[in-house]
Amino acid sequence: MSRVRQSGSSTVWSLVLFATLALFAVTLYAIFVVAPVEQQMGIVQKIFYFHVPSAYAMYIGFAVSAVGSAVYLLKRDPKWDAIGVAGAEVGTLFCLIVLLTGPLWARKAWGVWWTWDPRLTTTLLAGMIFAAYLSLRSMGNAGEVEKRFAAGLALFGLVDLPLIHYSVQRWRGVHPTVITGKGGGLESEMYWALGLSFIAFTGLAVLLIWARASAERQREETARLRFELMHR
Amino acid sequence: MRALIAAFVLGCTMLITPLALAEEPPAEPDGASAETQQGAAEERAAQFVGVRGPDAESVPGGALMLAAYAIVWALLFLFLMRMRGLQRQTAEELERLSAEIRASEGR
Repeated sequence: MSRVRQSGSSTVWSLVLFATLALFAVTLYAIFVVAPVEQQMGIVQKIFYFHVPSAYAMYIGFAVSAVGSAVYLLKRDPKWDAIGVAGAEVGTLFCLIVLLTGPLWARKAWGVWWTWDPRLTTTLLAGMIFAAYLSLRSMGNAGEVEKRFAAGLALFGLVDLPLIHYSVQRWRGVHPTVITGKGGGLESEMYWALGLSFIAFTGLAVLLIWARASAERQREETARLRFELMHR
Repeated sequence: MRALIAAFVLGCTMLITPLALAEEPPAEPDGASAETQQGAAEERAAQFVGVRGPDAESVPGGALMLAAYAIVWALLFLFLMRMRGLQRQTAEELERLSAEIRASEGR
């Protein structure tokens, strides 16, 4: 039964992988060939097609980490702890992408690399919270106390996600609002490119979390075996 | 004891001197130095005029865009390399454990 499930899981993994790779190819075509160059900013606006979906993938990663951590705190099942770690790592990866690609756009659009805009600040805060989570988990073989403390930190980080999302609506800032209700919107080709990019990045985030959680579970299992062998 | 007192006096001097200098009011400028300062002030910019046309600052949008896309792929690649390293470590650890189990069973 377990082998059948493993085989099914492997097939789904391969399907998601190939679908994501194909989608990335189509997305790049849509971004650079189909979507027009923006009138005001020029070609640098094309950063937007990877920057915004990266922020979305960051939300997915951090939310998965918080859910995994919450269930781990309730059940103490290492499977959920592995999901928590995987979500935090993948979320931090995409947060780093957001925090590095954003300033490259900002330099052209605003004339500065960084400004303490509410959305930028809250995104940096989320990155720092989950970087603290990962630092805590990287201190040798994390024990039960470290795991529980890190899980609490992930739940604390979850509180910041709605703040990031609604910061452009609630507080006055300079961050663009083109895909929210307040903005003037995008041209239809731009919407297509962005939509495809969203799907591709969702697939990528799912794949990375899946692979990382699997690797973490194997690592934990190996550590458990080592412990049992030493105390046999 | 004398050395202790000397160290105490030296310490106090080092602590008080910067404070005393900081509190010292600036000396009144005499005629010559006032003229020099006025001359320097006249050399400073009194207004800012924006550059028009092709001399305006040109931020290379294409290079920034390329850098952004390169960062995305580089970070993804590094993450995959990290996962590969983690899996290699786990595989090596499993290999060691298997060898230890085989050795303990052979005993």
